[in-house]
Amino acid sequence: MSGTGPHDRGRTGARFVQTIVEVEGRTETRVVEVPAFEPAPWTADTPLSIVGTSPPRVDAFEKVTGRARYTADTVRPGMLHAVIVRSPVAKGTLTAIDLDGARALPGVLGVMGPGDAPAATRLFRREVSYAGQPLAAACAESLQDAERAAVVIAASLVFDVAPHAVTVDEALAADAPRVRSAGNTTEPDVVQRGDVARGLADAEVTITREYRTQVALHSALEPHGAVCEWNDGHLTVWESTQGIFRVRSDVAKALELPHAKVRVLKDYMGGGFGAKNGAGAHTYTAALFARSLGAPVRCINDRRAEQTDSGNRPATVQKVTIGARRDGTLTALVLDAHIPLGISGWEGGPAQIFHEMYACPNVRTTETCVYINASGMQAFRGPGYVEGAFALEGAMNALARALQMDPVALRLKNLATRDERANREFSGNRLAECYAEGMQRFGWPSAISHPPSAISRVKRGRGVAAQTWPTGGGPPSYAHVRINSDGSVDVLAGTQDLGTGARTILAQIAAEALGARLDTVRAVIGDTERLPYTGNSWGSMTTPSVGPAVRMAAEEAKAHLLEAAAQMLDVRIEQLSTHDSQILQDGVTQLSFTDLCRKLGNVQILGRGSRGPNPDLAIVTVGAQFAEVEVDAETGVVRVLRIVAVHDAGRIINPALAESQLHGGIIQGIGYALFEERHIDRARGVTLNANLHDYKVPTMADVPAIDASFLPGADPAANHIGARGIAEPPIIPTAPAIAAAVADALGVELCALPLTPWRVLGAIAG
Amino acid sequence: MKLLVNGTPREVDAGVSPTLLAALRDQLGLTGSKLGCDHGECGACTVRLDNRLVYACLTLTAACDGAQVQTVEGLAEGNTLHPLQQAFITHDAAQCGYCTPGQLLAAAALLEQSPHPTDDEIRTAMGGNLCRCGTYPKIVNAIRAVADAQGRAS
Repeated sequence: MSGTGPHDRGRTGARFVQTIVEVEGRTETRVVEVPAFEPAPWTADTPLSIVGTSPPRVDAFEKVTGRARYTADTVRPGMLHAVIVRSPVAKGTLTAIDLDGARALPGVLGVMGPGDAPAATRLFRREVSYAGQPLAAACAESLQDAERAAVVIAASLVFDVAPHAVTVDEALAADAPRVRSAGNTTEPDVVQRGDVARGLADAEVTITREYRTQVALHSALEPHGAVCEWNDGHLTVWESTQGIFRVRSDVAKALELPHAKVRVLKDYMGGGFGAKNGAGAHTYTAALFARSLGAPVRCINDRRAEQTDSGNRPATVQKVTIGARRDGTLTALVLDAHIPLGISGWEGGPAQIFHEMYACPNVRTTETCVYINASGMQAFRGPGYVEGAFALEGAMNALARALQMDPVALRLKNLATRDERANREFSGNRLAECYAEGMQRFGWPSAISHPPSAISRVKRGRGVAAQTWPTGGGPPSYAHVRINSDGSVDVLAGTQDLGTGARTILAQIAAEALGARLDTVRAVIGDTERLPYTGNSWGSMTTPSVGPAVRMAAEEAKAHLLEAAAQMLDVRIEQLSTHDSQILQDGVTQLSFTDLCRKLGNVQILGRGSRGPNPDLAIVTVGAQFAEVEVDAETGVVRVLRIVAVHDAGRIINPALAESQLHGGIIQGIGYALFEERHIDRARGVTLNANLHDYKVPTMADVPAIDASFLPGADPAANHIGARGIAEPPIIPTAPAIAAAVADALGVELCALPLTPWRVLGAIAG
Repeated sequence: MKLLVNGTPREVDAGVSPTLLAALRDQLGLTGSKLGCDHGECGACTVRLDNRLVYACLTLTAACDGAQVQTVEGLAEGNTLHPLQQAFITHDAAQCGYCTPGQLLAAAALLEQSPHPTDDEIRTAMGGNLCRCGTYPKIVNAIRAVADAQGRAS
């Protein structure tokens, strides 16, 4: 494939076209600028020396020495501390509140309650619709003084309490209380292709199941938080966020400020997993107090607030019917799902994967969102697909058992060869190879590695499940690459590193394209004022969105560098190349970047890059996971012994970091499969396990042997760096693979998560 | 109130900072130790107090008078990283990095008590330090690499 180069940048004026971008499984059509040139794609055969290798994270030193600065580590002169008072009731009206008692306490400088915040912040409303809703806030010289004031305010709250509904069953009951004035459900969203009635009529085997998944909490170790400071009408926000530009637009809108007067900064952040995609109550509280009190204000969620009101993966109830012929060929897939979002949220529903995972002519999904009196959902790693995969893959495994067919063979028989939902070809989809590689690594379908004795109460089982997830990324994303007068390189992109490694892989891409040594390249990210725009770090989008923009910027900077070198050496530019921060003429080293730049003096070498439109192709990351478990039939305890995961994400920029993403997704998937569940007390409507002791995230002792890898190769049809996204896919198939292994061990299917001892024993007892 | 923090005598006011974590972070500017849960559940605040491993968020400053405290900032010797710090870099044992200081302190204590732990011993000893990014396999690898290197050296 050929591309165009920086020297072709002859066109004047921007050209805009429409393109399709998929974000968190949702499809958007955007009008985007066409880049001035498009480099030739890096194919699987392109010799690359930095991309595809595993140098340590560029910020690892800061992380292991404690020097990495997170939002809560931000200290500003004269900084004050704010604490939010939250509702202890799930529904009702706040009829009385006393702020004066708190205001009079020592150290307290400000209080806010109903009516004190702009409506657009949605803060401090008297109408209460979930426990944990912000009702008031206090600001003081110290955190302890602010916490004391918050307790005093909380003690003064009087409510006219109304009936609430905190589960999907309660909200759908005939006599359900009204959760929202417009009703407790959305209009059912029906998406279909073909004719499922005919598909079911053609079926020789039909499987019908109801699957239930739980509410899971992101539980990032660093809670949401912000520090806000005003200077001459300009607001600076230090925020732990996946989207600095989104925070900027949220704050600008809520406080009616022009974007130019809001600067959002983010250096390090302690995980996001989808919950940190915009401004929140903490941001607005800090910004409002900082303005009224004329001092910087820090507002950080405590753990209870974090587990109660910072987002969640919503529960689902999914009725699934699969029709198939005796040879395993699917004839119909039907899903009828209810998704209790909480009090608000968007449809990150389970349906999409039903349309994308398998070749099936007849598919119909119906999704009904249900409002309940609980904090609203937020995207959580693979939103919708994780929940949907539990049902779809569970039903496929049930079908395999009914057909007495190997579950991998059943899947291979129905492998999607194109995106039937959107009627598009794939840019690349090597799921069949993922199965083959995974089977070999796992030892599938041969016997269990260490069979237990026949009389043992401990049973072993094996299971498999697969995933797809849209990972094309897309525009808009911009980046600059700047070569300094000492030959060092800055990559400038207003993106975020959540712990994923974005800083590192963007530096690798720039170093590769520029022919620079990696240790001379620095990625500068996380500042809305000084850096070019990129989108949120969500939807596994950062690598395929920002990566190509960085490469383009580096290619342009390199072109400028070579033009200067050609002048200096009095040779043709075509004779020159770069490697290891050296300029070569006809393959022979002439001078270093440093020498050249020193001779040039303060000439600014700046390359600009942007992300071009997407091709009209389905760009997905796929993979298969195999699980082996041990189930104690007397205690009901499930132990995962090993997971083998093989995924295809096109080119892997840094295999070590990518492997860490696989581990992270799989381990979160184990938590989702076995322990994690938010419990709300139905009588009072409050979260019972809003802490990290009772909400069980996996510990090191829970982690099995994990063999996780990506197929080698590249996807040059997806974008010119050949890379797709990787962060969300690995969590998707883990829970259904474990559930399949438990079913294999016990000979009983479990259709609800998490697979707690209680639930396992219940299934055994029938 | 006097503390010997990372080998340096420091003074803190227990009235201003009731917990050792607050004293370290707010009064001494040692922000490497993190607040994750404030209830001794996550381990992000793990420090060493007179060679005991403690959750600094649950440790009263007033009870630490005269004590020796080691935080992540005191792991390196001058410009030489602690072998665990180097191994965490080499093995990619920090994703977001928020739990890393606590993980390092817990791992350092483990290897001093038990220089050649089995993988099961590592998993048990490190069980009080949560990592939501799921870096556990690489943390085990890093600890194992240091233990193996020390075994070869001795």
